[in-house]
Amino acid sequence: MSLPAVAKKDFQDTVRSKAMLLLVALFSGLVSVMAYAVRPAGDGDAFATELLLSVFVGPLLVSTLVPLVAVVIGYNAVSGERESGSLKLLLSLPHSRADVVFGKVLGRAAALSLAVFAGFLLPAVVLAVIPVSFNVGSFLGYTVFAAILGCVFVSIAVGCSAAASTQRRALIGGIGIYFLFVLFWSTLTGQLIGAFDGVIDALPATDVQIRTFLEVANPTTGVQVLTNAFLGEQLFAGETVNQQVSAAAMLVFWALAPPLVGLLKFDRDDL
Amino acid sequence: MTAIELRGVTKEFADVTAVDALDLAVEEGEVYGFLGPNGAGKSTTINMVLDLVRPTAGTVTVLGRDATADSVAIRERTGVLPEGFSVYGRLTGRKHVEFAIESKDADADPDAVLSRVGLADDADRKAGGYSKGMQQRLVLGMALVGEPDLLILDEPSSGLDPAGAKEMREIVREEADRGATVFFSSHVLGQVEAVCDRVGIMREGRLVAEDSVEGLREAVGGEETLEIEATGVDAAALDTVRELDGVSRVELDEAGEGTVTVSCAGGVKTRVIATLEDSGVTVADFHTTEASLEDLFLAYTEGETPSSGDTAHVDDADTTGADDAADAEEVQR
Repeated sequence: MSLPAVAKKDFQDTVRSKAMLLLVALFSGLVSVMAYAVRPAGDGDAFATELLLSVFVGPLLVSTLVPLVAVVIGYNAVSGERESGSLKLLLSLPHSRADVVFGKVLGRAAALSLAVFAGFLLPAVVLAVIPVSFNVGSFLGYTVFAAILGCVFVSIAVGCSAAASTQRRALIGGIGIYFLFVLFWSTLTGQLIGAFDGVIDALPATDVQIRTFLEVANPTTGVQVLTNAFLGEQLFAGETVNQQVSAAAMLVFWALAPPLVGLLKFDRDDL
Repeated sequence: MTAIELRGVTKEFADVTAVDALDLAVEEGEVYGFLGPNGAGKSTTINMVLDLVRPTAGTVTVLGRDATADSVAIRERTGVLPEGFSVYGRLTGRKHVEFAIESKDADADPDAVLSRVGLADDADRKAGGYSKGMQQRLVLGMALVGEPDLLILDEPSSGLDPAGAKEMREIVREEADRGATVFFSSHVLGQVEAVCDRVGIMREGRLVAEDSVEGLREAVGGEETLEIEATGVDAAALDTVRELDGVSRVELDEAGEGTVTVSCAGGVKTRVIATLEDSGVTVADFHTTEASLEDLFLAYTEGETPSSGDTAHVDDADTTGADDAADAEEVQR
């Protein structure tokens, strides 16, 4: 089993990457500034950690910046090594190509998780100092969800990287992933629903159900649904439980399917 | 057992046939030098052995296993110095070796490995700052981890200075003494002749010659090439010379103008001349040249006919020689 060896090596390599350090610093700075900027003027109790996270930090920073960091560290995972020639070094050792792809998913996901936790440290300090009711449990839990979001995007980006035969294609793929999931998802799915109106009528599901499913099928929305439920203390409970389960299932899908599809192509390629 | 065996292996890329119906066998425990100019198909062959590239046709067997199906098991017992690799620039030399040890599940001391390849003092530097030669040593060190049964070294001396190349040869010899099979490629003959038990020469995707270094050296060292300017040469006279003991090749130059080229053992030169004259040929002038191993290599790889037919077991060269002779006879008639 050489997957852990690949994951460990890749983790060590990734955490030394300057691009990642830079993005984490940027992220950490922005979250801190936002936490400070939107602090209440007077009584701290009126403004809770949960509100800050779910209204400001979540939609504005986490769902835009975490996927960006993930795509940046994931898009060149396999294709970059393929182009530079270090992949030959990796495949000279007894690793299967599946070990390489999934080892990279794990290694980079671990590196990204570390980055997210590091990125939330400075904001935690700010929150502890400014007059808000700092709820450590919510904050830590939220960090976990942010890390999950990042890991899913790392998976998608690494899968794309494994399928790409050149670094250029991987870059285009990475940009495509970011635009699709972060910026254009609702526009695009809206268009799709419009175009397949007739087909949808024939399905045993209502228009609203399908719209909801498509919304939570986007990992950024999926994580938002789950974090909001968590911060409202309604995780896998309450009215939105079905939606949450769909969201969680889709996150698992996005974490596994892209690397598998990427591996199918990568496994057949001449390197 | 055969360490590496290729049978009828062909690899076609979109626009070129890189390897063409190649048969190759490397015996266990031998040091095999895989020679040929750049672009001859050496690296493609090695990449097929390593399962980086899959053959279009034919079978590749390494250490008794199928190269594609059992690739991981093969690489557990193989050390590889690939061609055109790059290192992980952000990781230190020691981290690289540790990674190799972990990957092979070996029980080796990273520092011992690094000092064996002369990198003990640079172990904690990032490999991105290493020179090409140091990177080459580092990856050789990674290849040596775990005492592999088979070492595959693709152009191991590239980037090394003469002292480094010598150290590389010493390591190859040590590994062979340990019992490992060593298969390495080079486009420079001088680097392989000192260490190889056997040499194969690739050209345009085919193996054009294969013999022991001693065999090549003896055959070539004992032979001279005799160029004779003569008039009245006919096929019968050439055949008579061909039948002499110690003569390996007789050719009339392509234009048929009367320059006869004869490859023969040093002692039969005068017999060749005498036989020609007895057959009614007028010899105007002649001179001899001694062929070196380098000449032989160049002859194989640059399209001339090799100067020694005996040493070449493999088709191309011999048939080309025969065709030329046939052409020459055509001209005579």
